[in-house]
Amino acid sequence: MSAVEQGAAAAVPDERRAVPRGSNIIAADHLSKWYGQVIGLNDVTLTVPPGITGLLGPNGAGKSTFMKLITGQLKPSKGTITVLGEPIWGNPSLYFRIGFCPEQDAFYERMTGLEWVTALVRLNGLSDTEAAATGRRALEMVELLDAADKKIGAYSKGMRQRVKMAQALAHEPELLILDEPLAGMDPIARRKTIRMIKDWGRAGRSIIVSSHILHEIESMTANILLINQGRILAEGNVHQIRDLIDEHPHTVYIKADQTRALARQFLSFDDVLSLKFEEDAIVVQTGRPDAFYARLTDLAASGELGAIHEVTSPDDNLQAVFQYLVKT
Amino acid sequence: MPIHDQGYRRYGGSKAPLGQGWTVIARAGIRAMFAKRAFLGLLLMAWLPFFVRSVQFYAAANLPQAAVLAPSADTFRQFLDQQATFVFFVTVYVGAGLIANDRRANALQIYLSKPLTRLEYVFGKLAILATFLLLVTWVPAIVLLIVQISFAGNFTFLKNNLFLFPAITVFTFIEVLLVAMTMLALSSLSNSSRYVGILYAGVIFFSSAIYGVLYAVTRSTMFSWISFPANLEQIGNVIFRQPLRYDTPWPLSLLMIVLGIVMSGVILERRVRGVEVVA
Repeated sequence: MSAVEQGAAAAVPDERRAVPRGSNIIAADHLSKWYGQVIGLNDVTLTVPPGITGLLGPNGAGKSTFMKLITGQLKPSKGTITVLGEPIWGNPSLYFRIGFCPEQDAFYERMTGLEWVTALVRLNGLSDTEAAATGRRALEMVELLDAADKKIGAYSKGMRQRVKMAQALAHEPELLILDEPLAGMDPIARRKTIRMIKDWGRAGRSIIVSSHILHEIESMTANILLINQGRILAEGNVHQIRDLIDEHPHTVYIKADQTRALARQFLSFDDVLSLKFEEDAIVVQTGRPDAFYARLTDLAASGELGAIHEVTSPDDNLQAVFQYLVKT
Repeated sequence: MPIHDQGYRRYGGSKAPLGQGWTVIARAGIRAMFAKRAFLGLLLMAWLPFFVRSVQFYAAANLPQAAVLAPSADTFRQFLDQQATFVFFVTVYVGAGLIANDRRANALQIYLSKPLTRLEYVFGKLAILATFLLLVTWVPAIVLLIVQISFAGNFTFLKNNLFLFPAITVFTFIEVLLVAMTMLALSSLSNSSRYVGILYAGVIFFSSAIYGVLYAVTRSTMFSWISFPANLEQIGNVIFRQPLRYDTPWPLSLLMIVLGIVMSGVILERRVRGVEVVA
């Protein structure tokens, strides 16, 4: 399959790139992974160019298996995978060059953000003093320095995601691997995080970011890999499938203080197709997700209709597009 | 006037090479335990027998009426026997959560995405528990030996019992390795440190209870190899050149200890992974 090099990384001069232009950050050759009789990834051959790449697929598509294979947490059942030009399995020295942010929460809630990041930075071989300074810098990069001395247990979902990202980028890796980094974030945190990821890409880092929401990936990069049922379905420019996705209504789940007031506001949007109330939440179907998310972010920032705590999107619409792609 | 770049500068200092990650794990764990007052209290209690023995040695060296209290090789064997109670409590307190807490917090996948191998991770955890166990076994026993020399004012006792230093060292290291590996293996089996603590107590008491029942039926100590603590006692007596306590051949007890360590290693190899694969 061809490698597509575009998006934010294209604007980065060669001398600032961690990975030289033309070389691939990931190369998989007939890569497969079975869990007993269940297949997680099926005969995947691909290359991933430097820059930001979105890994897109519905839940259970094989995104996490692929992420675990490229972070060396799983051994391929068949085939080979190289990351930054070296095999990743059983090669811990490569982790000096990689930062991984897992999807699940993975911390001790009684520790402060700074303590947690500093403890993990030490594993990258830095002295105690340097680790503390590096931890602070990493928290500053994710705009969490103000909450550095708060216990992680008191962090919001967005702060938890950002502190996980801080530990991934603290040692300045060449490649950042972010597994569903926007999951559960409120609109403002989501916008901040997207901006940060784009900035890191512009700074010359290579980033692989997974999501099951197309417009999230689209806001970060044009270069995507579509994965479904353990196979790579398509790779290349996001705009080519963009038209397909717009044909399907997009579902958004919003957890907020004043769901009824929000619903009244949403009804005035012409792209909102339906509304449904759930406990402390509202489920909206929209025909134009981009416009909807932009207005939602503005609403959250203004604070007029109370706090919006969480925005998630089930992958029904993406599933529909995948079904369409599979049929064609 | 030149204006210097105020932007972020990449860290240019030295980094520890690969293979030293275990020291980071060990140091963090040891620091965390020393920060707990209850644990410091337990450590203090574990040293009480040492102070009692020191008074005994002082009396034996300085009071003719207390000559009956003069130490022998068996005194040190008995001392390490007494410390077994504290070994149990320290093992449960320190060891139960070592891996279980990381599993509950999903921290393993983060640790193992850093320049840290699974072996280094296990070794780091082992070092935490081993440090505290040696602090209540090997350290007080060796200090006691030094105390004896100091109070007696000569090396006669040490010369007559030259094997004591290696005996204390070999026995405590075997004990610590078996106990720490067993506890780590159990800790890797669960996400709950409480459950692990109960499981460990179960292994100790259940194996002794089965042996006790067999002894009551057969009136023979041939089945002592079933008991976890009895195997250590048997090997301890061999190392300290004392009469054996059980009819079980000591190589069988040693084999059981080695089997325990190997089984624990196998469990750790299977359980300590960044990703749990259920197939």
